[in-house]
Amino acid sequence: MLNQLVELINKNVPGANATAFIPEDTAKLDGSVTVEAAKILDIATWLRSNTEMPFNALHVISAVDYVEYFEVCYMFAHYDVENPREVILKVKLTDRVDPRLDSIVSVYPAANFQEREAFDMMGVRFNNHPDPRRILCPDDWVGFPLRKDYVYPKMYNGMEVFPDSKMNFEDREFKARQDLINKAQKAASVDEVQ
Amino acid sequence: MQDGVVLTTLDDFLNWGRKNSLWPMTFGLACCAIEMMATGASKYDLERFGAGAFMATPRRSDVMIVAGTVTLKMATRVKTLYEQMAEPKYVISMGSCANKGGPYWQHGYHVLKGVDEVVPVDVYVPGCPPRPESLIEGVMTLQKKIANERLLRNKCVKHA
Repeated sequence: MLNQLVELINKNVPGANATAFIPEDTAKLDGSVTVEAAKILDIATWLRSNTEMPFNALHVISAVDYVEYFEVCYMFAHYDVENPREVILKVKLTDRVDPRLDSIVSVYPAANFQEREAFDMMGVRFNNHPDPRRILCPDDWVGFPLRKDYVYPKMYNGMEVFPDSKMNFEDREFKARQDLINKAQKAASVDEVQ
Repeated sequence: MQDGVVLTTLDDFLNWGRKNSLWPMTFGLACCAIEMMATGASKYDLERFGAGAFMATPRRSDVMIVAGTVTLKMATRVKTLYEQMAEPKYVISMGSCANKGGPYWQHGYHVLKGVDEVVPVDVYVPGCPPRPESLIEGVMTLQKKIANERLLRNKCVKHA
């Protein structure tokens, strides 16, 4: 199915440059289709409107931080009694400073909140989005929390995020705890010898 | 002596009235609110302690049960709600998140480390989430605290 879809996308959307990833063990990994980021709106329009292999629903949009690049995954599905299907579409964004992508809200209205969440958490901006605000964090939040290089804020609106009087990181660190256990065991064995 | 007798009686009378009609605010933040609802429902029946009338506005409520994770976004709202309540007002901090940040303690960049950073807390109820029995004990502890209050003496006898 993925090979057929890739052929159809490449035939109908020029410059889509679609490639299929088909894993050896399909029980462990899902197959996916990787496409050109600049063509995502054309591809979404085609996926929704074609007659050969249509997809009438968008399940999810999620952004992933791979440190060197961002990846935005779309899951499209087709709700049909005889022939249901699902596909994972991936685009790669190499610009870490200002990753941009075309919004597909005009084609799939379900993308509205999903794209807002991807912007809120990962900082992927969507061109022509009807309501490009943050969705979970407050509007005056600084930074994008799910990026790998996110730095925790110290203060927010006059509230201390990690108050020194309440924090005791050393006790919580696994190694420190392990050291304590080792020390106790050593002390116990010394007692036994004596 | 005469004043003392009268004032003590009035104190007890006021405290008795206050502690037996603690109206909480309808205010749940996370999963602890589910336990709070269970406490208010028929099996655990918070109304036995006079605290079952969940008011839909802070103006009419006496106690705020902070049930759940207080995020930084919500913290300013919690403070506003507390300021809107009429005196006398009390706060029960329910669950680990409201007490001290809970599981969001170390990496929770978005969670306030304890609701006592923004409002004064009277009773802490530990648990994740606390069982309804725990919340009932928290309410009873608050009632004991109210029963020992001497508001009038502090205000009136000092100047008598």
